[in-house]
Amino acid sequence: MSEMAGRISGRFPRLIRRADPAVVTAFGCILLLLLLGSLYSSNFLSLDYLLQQLKVASFLGVIAAGMMLVILLGHIDLSIPWVMTAGAMMACAAAGFGAVGAALAIPFGVLCGVAFGLVNGVGVAYLRIPSMIVTLATNVVAQGLMVVYTGGFSPQDSAPPAVRWLATGFVVPGLPNAVLVWLAVSGAMVFLLGRTSLGRTIYGIGNSERAAYLSGVSTRRVVMIAFAVCGGLAAFGGILLAGYSSKAAQAMGDAYLLPSIAAVVLGGTSILGGRGSYLGTVAGVILITLLQSILSVMQMPEAGRQIIYGVVIVAMLLFYGRAPASR
Amino acid sequence: MDVAPIFRMEGISKRYGGVRALENAALTVAPGRIHAILGENGAGKSTLIKVMAGVVAPDEGRMTLEGREVKFASPSAANEAGIVCIFQELSLIPELTVADNIVISNPPKRFGMIDRKQQRRIAEDALARAGAEDIHPLALVKDLPLSRRQMVEIAKALARKPRILILDEATSALTAADVSKIFAVLKRLRSEGLALLYISHRMNEIAELADECTVFRNGRNVATYAAGTKSDTEVVELMIGREYSHIFPPKPPRIPVDRPPVLECRNLSWADRLNDISLTVDAGEVVGLGGLDGQGQRELLLAFFGVLRGLSGEVLIDGKPIRISSPAAARDKKIGMALIPEDRKTEGLMLPMTVRENLSFAALDLLARGGVINRGAEEGLIDEMIRLLAIRTAGLDIPVGTLSGGNQQKVVIAKWLMRHPRIILLNDPTRGIDVGTKQEMYQLLRRLADAGAAIVFYSTDYDELIGCCDRVLVLYEGAVKCELAGDDLTERALIASALDIDDRDVALRARMGA
Repeated sequence: MSEMAGRISGRFPRLIRRADPAVVTAFGCILLLLLLGSLYSSNFLSLDYLLQQLKVASFLGVIAAGMMLVILLGHIDLSIPWVMTAGAMMACAAAGFGAVGAALAIPFGVLCGVAFGLVNGVGVAYLRIPSMIVTLATNVVAQGLMVVYTGGFSPQDSAPPAVRWLATGFVVPGLPNAVLVWLAVSGAMVFLLGRTSLGRTIYGIGNSERAAYLSGVSTRRVVMIAFAVCGGLAAFGGILLAGYSSKAAQAMGDAYLLPSIAAVVLGGTSILGGRGSYLGTVAGVILITLLQSILSVMQMPEAGRQIIYGVVIVAMLLFYGRAPASR
Repeated sequence: MDVAPIFRMEGISKRYGGVRALENAALTVAPGRIHAILGENGAGKSTLIKVMAGVVAPDEGRMTLEGREVKFASPSAANEAGIVCIFQELSLIPELTVADNIVISNPPKRFGMIDRKQQRRIAEDALARAGAEDIHPLALVKDLPLSRRQMVEIAKALARKPRILILDEATSALTAADVSKIFAVLKRLRSEGLALLYISHRMNEIAELADECTVFRNGRNVATYAAGTKSDTEVVELMIGREYSHIFPPKPPRIPVDRPPVLECRNLSWADRLNDISLTVDAGEVVGLGGLDGQGQRELLLAFFGVLRGLSGEVLIDGKPIRISSPAAARDKKIGMALIPEDRKTEGLMLPMTVRENLSFAALDLLARGGVINRGAEEGLIDEMIRLLAIRTAGLDIPVGTLSGGNQQKVVIAKWLMRHPRIILLNDPTRGIDVGTKQEMYQLLRRLADAGAAIVFYSTDYDELIGCCDRVLVLYEGAVKCELAGDDLTERALIASALDIDDRDVALRARMGA
């Protein structure tokens, strides 16, 4: 492989030369899906359809970005569904408090997500609880809190205009704002992972927490930060979704747990941590969104859709998601 | 030896990467005898018994059991052939009962279920044979003290009906009373016709127990003799041998300074692994830690580096007491400590990550402003380190795991030198690397010391300790056994104190520099 890379290196720019085979495969699968779809209906190749898909994908994209940080550490965050919901509900509720509330709606919702993420992070990093357990518990607690909150009195649950604008409006004609938001989050992720010491440390911990610790890195703090960012991004994704469907609803996040994990892993990030590029996660998000869309356009009954969806994800992971670590 | 041998191995070789652990080794085992195996750290004893027990497959050579050639694909295949090994580390499951543990690999069954009565009977028999009738078969292993667990371990081995029983440092955790009990058991087993292989660093045990001894050195068996025909001094000389010698940089004469030592510890203890250790290291000094492997050297370095919890005693930096709570605190500018860990593959490096990422990993806080890495500064420091240590790599963006062992070790050292540490702790840094790189490392150590660093250097290679260190502290069972410096620092003295031999002759001759 290295000799192939050597031969290519003369002709292609650095970005492509360093491309992960998994990322290339994921983009290949996207093209394949689009081609298969276009056999069914030519609409699948229209610009409108593709932009619409990117818009839908951006909610998942924002959430998967956070998930990727956690998976790179070798952990997992199962609290996505209700942290999303909590973020969305809190943002909508804040908007009920006049002009100030409306202005602070989004930051407040994101902050709630960060708070849940911090609980996860403290549990994993300082209390040494396995991430699978602590995030599952956080998920249930968040659910309980939201049920109590919506059951006791009747808060505002419709998304404020600012949120709706962020999810469905257009700053650049033709390009939905949600896609711009996703682009911004992606830019920040690329910078974080590639240029900052936090990003390096995250990869380092994922590869060998022992070595990172013995290098004098505050591994626990980094793990906590990653979970907090993941919680914040999950909440932000929930807020966008609320803006898209114009209200926050219970169970709105249930459909996002498996896809957010699958998108990261399909994009070539090792589920054991330490390896993976953000570009791959973007590819994974698009791939999953397209798959869902094509299955629903084909008017497959719900049950069949879910079966196919699950089987395809497992098959894809078998295909290339489990590349052995280099040692 | 008038009995026909039961087991014979010939021409056994085993390499790990570039390092040869066994080279054309041979061993003959006879029934009804206790055969002791001696050798320095890394002489090949452990590899030899792992080959015998089916844990490791040899690269070359043949083994015969009662005249028939055998090959063991796994430890259970060796067990079936009647070779059972009791390893240094305990293999019991603490949450299960003694009886469960004893029959764990092959429990008696009735209708597909474990037959508890039968299991208990087997366990009682085995415990009785091991001379440990006082252990209740239904007691939980975790409730037993360490020495009792070791008895259970022996019972477990006996329950497999071995014809050859290997004990690898099986007594290292035992008290004197338990040892004598086990010796009685071993002698009875010998009279029952078992072949016993006994590996121990305790010379007095070997003298009491063994019928014959084989000495290993550099992966070869160098001598086999009937027990009692050689003096301790002769045995030590056999173990040392003289195969290759290193070239070491000259040691500058020590000038006493009136500054407080850079690193000092007083009465340092931790669990039962470190026992009241006091030492000082001055700037510009290389202090060696000697002794057999696993006598607390590793723990001592980790204790300095802030990794161990629950230390008692004091650590002083520049004469001021300080508590180092984590590696992050230890590497801080105020202390300026660096640790080259024991296992570079899991503790020193992230193998799949690039050379660049590994080199700058420990210095990211110095290279980043506001959390963003300054790539120019990073590049500059990396270039400097690559030149300083002459690291041979095909580029900065290839995984560090593709480099040779010696170059990987250089990367580990370089990543710490980037911080310009004042105190450098090295945990056996030359293990498994080539001779050329070793030479470079000796030169580097001396250069760093001359530049004012305080260096603590643990090595399993006695030559190295003698050649590199100004002083060597020999550790034995977590305590400083003795301190050797100047002309007293000889291989004989090192080995004698490492083995805790009370042999004046050895010590005397060492002092005379004979």
